[in-house]
Amino acid sequence: MLKKIGLEKLNEFVSALIEKGTLFAPVKGDAGVDFQEIKNAGDVTLDFYNTLQSPKCVFFPQTDDMVRYRLKKETTDIEEISLDFEPRIAFGIRPCDVKSFEIMDKLFTRGGIVDPYWESRRKNTTIMGYAFDAVDPADFYGAFGIHAADTTGSDVFMVKGEKNLLLKAITEKGEKLLSSVDTLEDALEEDRKYFEERLKKGAELETRTLSLEGVAGKLRDMFGSPYWEKVAAPCLNCGVCTFVCPTCHCFDIQDETLFGEGTRRKIWDSCMFTDFTLEASGHNPRTQKSQRLRQRVNHKFSYYVTNFEVTSCVGCGRCTRSCPVNIDILTVVEEAVESV
Amino acid sequence: MKDIENRLKQEAKRLLESGEAEVVLAYGRGYDEKHPMPYAAKAVSDVDNIVFDEYCTFNMTRYLTEYPLGTKIAIAVKSCDSRTLIVLMQEEKVKREDIVILGIPYRDMIDSKTGKAIDNSTACNLPNPVLYDILLGDEVTERDDGSPYDVLKELEEMELDVRWEFWSKEFSKCIRCYACRKACPMCYCDPCFIDQSQPRWADKSPSLESNLMFHLTRFYHLAGRCIDCGECSRACPVDIPLHLFHKKVSKECEEMFDQVSGMSLDDKQVMVDFKMEDSDEILL
Repeated sequence: MLKKIGLEKLNEFVSALIEKGTLFAPVKGDAGVDFQEIKNAGDVTLDFYNTLQSPKCVFFPQTDDMVRYRLKKETTDIEEISLDFEPRIAFGIRPCDVKSFEIMDKLFTRGGIVDPYWESRRKNTTIMGYAFDAVDPADFYGAFGIHAADTTGSDVFMVKGEKNLLLKAITEKGEKLLSSVDTLEDALEEDRKYFEERLKKGAELETRTLSLEGVAGKLRDMFGSPYWEKVAAPCLNCGVCTFVCPTCHCFDIQDETLFGEGTRRKIWDSCMFTDFTLEASGHNPRTQKSQRLRQRVNHKFSYYVTNFEVTSCVGCGRCTRSCPVNIDILTVVEEAVESV
Repeated sequence: MKDIENRLKQEAKRLLESGEAEVVLAYGRGYDEKHPMPYAAKAVSDVDNIVFDEYCTFNMTRYLTEYPLGTKIAIAVKSCDSRTLIVLMQEEKVKREDIVILGIPYRDMIDSKTGKAIDNSTACNLPNPVLYDILLGDEVTERDDGSPYDVLKELEEMELDVRWEFWSKEFSKCIRCYACRKACPMCYCDPCFIDQSQPRWADKSPSLESNLMFHLTRFYHLAGRCIDCGECSRACPVDIPLHLFHKKVSKECEEMFDQVSGMSLDDKQVMVDFKMEDSDEILL
């Protein structure tokens, strides 16, 4: 099923989507475009390269409330927060980011313990992928077999033309969504041609690349190498790279209480922070920034591969673009492998 | 600019060869021409990797406190960066005799993220380093760009509630990645109060309240110390104009105590000094 809508009617379409469920879509902010829950259809933009932060917030928000409580003298009242999430729509997700959901599924649902927060949102979400039409120099999603107009993982895949937004249903879920929105028109033969052409062109767009063969093992073997100190020298040990990353998933659980009332929350954490591994005894197994940078790289390119047979990186380029000192994870991995 | 790069390499080579410096803190190649990186040259063979261009905005003094006291370090500094050195020396974080200061007389740096020139609206923008041992070129001539505090005019003219709204919106954006703190050469506390869990000074989750707790504490902690290099704002992934708050605090310090931070090794910082003629406005 291929549908279309005139770009001037985007607002109408977005309004119709809001009726179908909680909509997460790209919105322009001061520093760039980011995914937000949409209240006003006019806020949504399709004019962006990629968002500053990843869309992982749709399933894994920075702060996720689990239990609310009130501390009393002898007992505590608790109220568990419901996991019955309403249907959600994730709109305008770039192909590399769509891939990140599949990678995170492995950890959150197939790692032995099922994370109900991730799983229930994921089940209820329709993903509307969105083709890239250019390549940023920081990107390297090609290394993971993803291309600029890759429809894999999307329920609906969107291509923006000069006048229209073309939408193709990829899964049943996507078909159900598209057929329920009457603001959409059926695509014509010329639209179909254009759509196919864009998919073909997308597959031809070249990003930077990296050979992944043997990387996991080589990184494991060079754990004690002085390379890490050298490469971590410029690192500030801030958490930008981990927060903007679509596959960084570490979180902390905190009780945040004020005057006896509070909430137990999941909150994003970062292996770049010194207190990330600080133990109750006061011992910290990772005191050096070289150890922390190595952890981030190895977790993605080695440990995750061992555990789940996939690299936990999609080459979206966000960490490279956001790094205040321009550390580029592709270069770090490339040079690490060369140094062995 | 190429001349500065060549001089920088020459001096780095000489200092490493003679043993006058164990490490040269300068700039190196990044993943493309517009994205150089901070670089620590430790051997003569590292010197070839040194670069200097208009994108080398990093305040390299931020790395000084990572080295044990007594390490012989040569460091490349631009104007604001040299003022940081003065503050760090006043605070005895580094010793004058351990540092060879390679001054860079160049001011038209470009923020690679925005592509815009760094001027006195986002940094101190003095033309030349205030303190140096070797100047890697001719002094840059003065030009009248106005005061580094001119940019505050708009904020200062806002009604109180409008200004509160402005800062509330800005601080609500914070994702607590702490890039501002980590890019700041004056933020060397270990541990930083915000990382402490006993007591915990602010919630870990980002909210306007906890974000304010972090940022306001940081702002006050930098009063009379910030030298307006603008690294905090450049590091911020969500573009909070942190430098404006720092500029405002610096301006007030100057007005109250008649001293500009990081301009002379002989000064005592305003927050650790007391003079009978000091303004008592701060007590009200």
